[in-house]
Amino acid sequence: MRDNWGFVLAAYGLAAVVLIAYWRFLFRREKELEDATAIRHDLRQPSRNPASERPSP
Amino acid sequence: MRRLLGGVTLVGLLAGLVMGFGIAPRETTQGNVQRIMYLHVPSVWVAYLAFGVVLVASIAYLVRRAESADRLAHASAEVGVLFTGLTIATGSIWGKPTWGTWWTWDARLTSVSILFVMYLGYLLLRGMVDDRERGARFAAVLGIVAAFNIPLVHFSVYWWRTLHQPPSLMKPGPGTMPGIIVAALLVNFAAFTLLYVYFVTRRARLLRLETEAEA
Repeated sequence: MRDNWGFVLAAYGLAAVVLIAYWRFLFRREKELEDATAIRHDLRQPSRNPASERPSP
Repeated sequence: MRRLLGGVTLVGLLAGLVMGFGIAPRETTQGNVQRIMYLHVPSVWVAYLAFGVVLVASIAYLVRRAESADRLAHASAEVGVLFTGLTIATGSIWGKPTWGTWWTWDARLTSVSILFVMYLGYLLLRGMVDDRERGARFAAVLGIVAAFNIPLVHFSVYWWRTLHQPPSLMKPGPGTMPGIIVAALLVNFAAFTLLYVYFVTRRARLLRLETEAEA
């Protein structure tokens, strides 16, 4: 029987593309959400302006 | 921990490629196209595993109403759909040179297509229900019902006359394959299982972050 390397390459190539695409989706979405969470966390922190905490004379 | 798991998974996948292409011999009947087996069979194993986890996590969610169980079911279903799609695609590519056709409506191919569509429906259902708790409950019921299709897929080659060959590895009784081919398959099974664990842990974490972002 012929070896049909083209079919072997097609199967492994397709699997590689699909799995890498899914990994990239997970990686990017996670980074987006982590960045958004960090920004939200910063916004919720009370402002620490030393000038506003100084007692008036 | 995630980086370590990712690294080990990558090493496992590379080892699987070395076993499948470098160590395992050329099969005498089918030639080198048989090497698709080292991708196709572990893919369907991961699909079975993923949908089995969906079943257990769905039952756990209905009993305890733990959001972590719901997230695990959701993540596992998504990864299972991915690997079922890969199983169908790689099987079709393997079928053309060996059977002479890309597709035939035999019992194994039809039942695995139904499995794929059912879990695709499971994911769509989650997106369709606005109330998160209700959506999780409906999905859990569907996750339990859909799991009944798994034995149907696996045993379809025994119960009906099919073009698809019977299982070579996941079957009772002594094996008929040469040891080196079994070894190559087992390395790929281990690597794909690691890949499943890696994807599911990352996806479940992502789902938690999404819930926190919406709150």
